[in-house]
Amino acid sequence: MSGRIAGLGERELVEFTFDGEQVSAWAGDSIAMALWAVGQQALRNSSSVGEPRGVLCNMGICYECLVVVDGATVRSCTTMVRSGMKVQRGGKL
Amino acid sequence: MSDDRTIEADVGVVGAGPGGMAAATKLAAAGLRVVVLDEGQRAGGQIYRQLPNGTNGHGLMAEPPSHDQGHELIKSFEKQTERNVELIHGATVWDAQPGRLWFEHEGASRLLRCRHMVLAPGAYDRCIPFPGWTLPGVMTAGALQVMIRGFGVVPGKRALVVGSGPLLLPTVTSLLGAGVEVVAALEASSRWQALRALPAVALHAARRREAFWYLKQLSRARVKLQWGWTVFACEGDGRVQRAIIGKVDRSGRPRRGTERTIECDVVGAGFGLVPSIEIGLRLGVASQFAATRGGHYLVVDAEQRTAVATVFAVGEICGIGGAEVASAEGELAAASILREEGGAAIDPAVVARARSERRAADSMLRAFAPLPGLHELARPDTIVCRCEDITKLAAGQAAALHGESMRAIKVGCRAGMGPCQARICGPSLQAMATDNTACTMDLPVVQVPLKPVSSETILTAPE
Repeated sequence: MSGRIAGLGERELVEFTFDGEQVSAWAGDSIAMALWAVGQQALRNSSSVGEPRGVLCNMGICYECLVVVDGATVRSCTTMVRSGMKVQRGGKL
Repeated sequence: MSDDRTIEADVGVVGAGPGGMAAATKLAAAGLRVVVLDEGQRAGGQIYRQLPNGTNGHGLMAEPPSHDQGHELIKSFEKQTERNVELIHGATVWDAQPGRLWFEHEGASRLLRCRHMVLAPGAYDRCIPFPGWTLPGVMTAGALQVMIRGFGVVPGKRALVVGSGPLLLPTVTSLLGAGVEVVAALEASSRWQALRALPAVALHAARRREAFWYLKQLSRARVKLQWGWTVFACEGDGRVQRAIIGKVDRSGRPRRGTERTIECDVVGAGFGLVPSIEIGLRLGVASQFAATRGGHYLVVDAEQRTAVATVFAVGEICGIGGAEVASAEGELAAASILREEGGAAIDPAVVARARSERRAADSMLRAFAPLPGLHELARPDTIVCRCEDITKLAAGQAAALHGESMRAIKVGCRAGMGPCQARICGPSLQAMATDNTACTMDLPVVQVPLKPVSSETILTAPE
């Protein structure tokens, strides 16, 4: 898989969808990092200007990486991938 | 009424970084039952972040000497988690009273009841807004560390590192370890300002070793730290593709006319850290302000006790100081609690170590006071509050119209009213909107929930 540091060893494969597209990740990935590893950096559009936003703090502080998982808005940097989850861009609290 | 969502412990610890781990390990070894709440997925905190379970990352990336201490700390802590420590990871604390911590965990609303509390939630990156900082690919230095050391993900091909203070070095070495080309490493302070940190580093054996190790890594990769430079703007189509960099004066003010363009696909910005004091404030703990300690921090006595009975605070929330300070203070807080529980007197060596680590950190960080001139990087149309999309111009107008307090600015333009609760914009917003060169700011107003959680969590909270 591209976007990973070589030599870490493979973990269990987890498949989920992002805006309907299939994404392969590894168990233990956050949604944000699984998406980053496959080149998806824009995770939501900002609240009034609508410009693309992505990971800023990567530790649950900034709420810039909000996505919608099975209907609920979550921080993609602190939410781990689960097999079969449906993730959508967007997210506003 | 007994409720399986409520758990009880002798001591509740917030945060599984060096401070929380040191405290929990010592308390548990003495036989107390400890519950540690942490927002991450594994012990270590931000500084000693571990790769996900099942990853074989040992020895893969070069690590500074201080991380040996981190590994030891994690090992002793994890040994205790098989006995007297319960680590609840993925826990978001959203309210607190002495003896009680409410948290959201895997969608459930839960309560930890404890006789003593050790607060060790750490810190987060201080952000300085500049044109283009909202582009995907522009992130904090901490975010890059999490990506590389916490998840083993490669940030990009060409990275620009900007900011001020000791955290730039580990950011650069992590990028190099991940195989990323570091196109430039820009320290906004001048070499002469930074030299003031030299005596503190030279006199402290561990910090001296650490500094040499970093400089060796940089020279091996032919990365040169450029003093008195920073990022002026980032540009790109939907993500960062290039940065405009330039020189700044002693106060951090951009020197227009010195600009150069540099191609990059990721930018890490680390302008220091801000103590995460919200839980402490909610509990009624007193705070003080010192720009070189990261802003507002919690006040503790010589044994890490706050003025609120049963509440102790350690590490970054008592002023930014680093992992060595945090672990020393964590151990001291544990010793104080054990004595209150009827144990032995506190070992003077434990007190002395905490005090000397704190002193060393203070004298080093004095060299990296926030540079007020960096607030001029943002243009009038630059977004400063990212949650609500509020520009620098709007924030300035709100301050002029409604008053210079943080509350007035918030009410005047909604800046700082979004889900981050002003954690990102707050540290620079007020100084920027009011041209305050001392970089002081009002104490954040504590809001409950301390972090956004579902209304279900709040409505169904155990008592």
